[in-house]
Amino acid sequence: MIGTIFLHFIIAMIATLAFAVLFQAPKSEWGLCGLTGGVGWFVYEYLHSQQGWHLMLATIVATLALTLLSRFFAVLRKHPATVYLLSGIFPLVPGAGIYYAAFYLISGNMEMFSIKGTETVETAGAIVIGIILAMGLPQAWLNHLKKKEKKAI
Amino acid sequence: MNETRDILTLAVEIGDAMLQNGGEIYRVEDTVMKIMAAYQLEDYDVYVLSNGIFASANEGKEDACSMIRHVPLGSVNLLKISKLNQLARDICDKKCTISEAWVRMDAIIHHKKDPLWIRVLCTGIGSGGFAILFGANFLDGSIAFGIGLLLQLLMLWFEKHHVGRFANLLICSMFVTALSLFPMCMGLPVSQDKIVIGCIMPLVPGIAFTTSIRDFYNSDYLSGVIHLLDALLTALFISVGVGLTIYIFQSLGGAMS
Repeated sequence: MIGTIFLHFIIAMIATLAFAVLFQAPKSEWGLCGLTGGVGWFVYEYLHSQQGWHLMLATIVATLALTLLSRFFAVLRKHPATVYLLSGIFPLVPGAGIYYAAFYLISGNMEMFSIKGTETVETAGAIVIGIILAMGLPQAWLNHLKKKEKKAI
Repeated sequence: MNETRDILTLAVEIGDAMLQNGGEIYRVEDTVMKIMAAYQLEDYDVYVLSNGIFASANEGKEDACSMIRHVPLGSVNLLKISKLNQLARDICDKKCTISEAWVRMDAIIHHKKDPLWIRVLCTGIGSGGFAILFGANFLDGSIAFGIGLLLQLLMLWFEKHHVGRFANLLICSMFVTALSLFPMCMGLPVSQDKIVIGCIMPLVPGIAFTTSIRDFYNSDYLSGVIHLLDALLTALFISVGVGLTIYIFQSLGGAMS
């Protein structure tokens, strides 16, 4: 199982990297964009599939982690956090929810439609909460983190 | 005397380019303000919406001027945002005169896009990768990769012929769903749902949604609503495209697994 998660981490990284290229991210940041997406997915999958956390809670923590990571990269690399965040969020965006909701609605399976529809809205809501929590962290703390690192080197 | 106009134009021009390439409202407003402050304008104001910029400078004086820009919602270009951001930083650090700034900005705006084949390849990789993440096996992933390539080709063709955004979305999502049905009908052991999910990932409104959240966070409610509406409509059109195709398929007697 750990092997699968690790493999998925790599795949999430590659897929996010591909999207970062599509959004014309700076070449030097492609790897870090991929890493942001990989970490987001890893946290989500570990908490949701392995630890059995609720979908929403797992998504909140994953979004929180990847948003903080993008803010940290932003300070470290002097690029806007947007560069990492917009690419990295993609693995968590409820594309599957959109598909299943449409599919069950058309198939007339209202019970599954409401389950999948709710899941989609919940995931979207969780992303909102995650980003807002991570944005709430004062910028000064992140800058401080970087200073510390410089001293250590 | 003309300097005020020049500074204002430069600041708004940079803000315009940032907004068009997907910068969030707060950043654009902040950048325009800081540039004007860096060039020693004293009395200025900026109001930015997700599709427009309003700015004025030196209102009380003789050389008062103001500027309005309409900025249509565009596609994201992270490189340009980043470079414009760097330019604005340099201006604020007084490392850059007005004429230098104009030259640098022109270079950024006319920066060449990546070659088209890279975009095609990346859409394929993204589609295949996300299909596998959502539980597809290797065969499904390869099919999603192939459909992703075709999807980007179709999108490029639409872009060239200026097909409207929503028609574009609707046809693209119908296109990928229809293509995903072929391997299933040919009797290959595939999970058609995973293939479609992978292939609609390049269409889903992840960026509009994230930008909307950030706008709301910075109390730019109106812009947040505009982006949110954009995200919701996009999601809606994707699901209509997918649903319609499956409906037609089932009406023609096709069985879904």
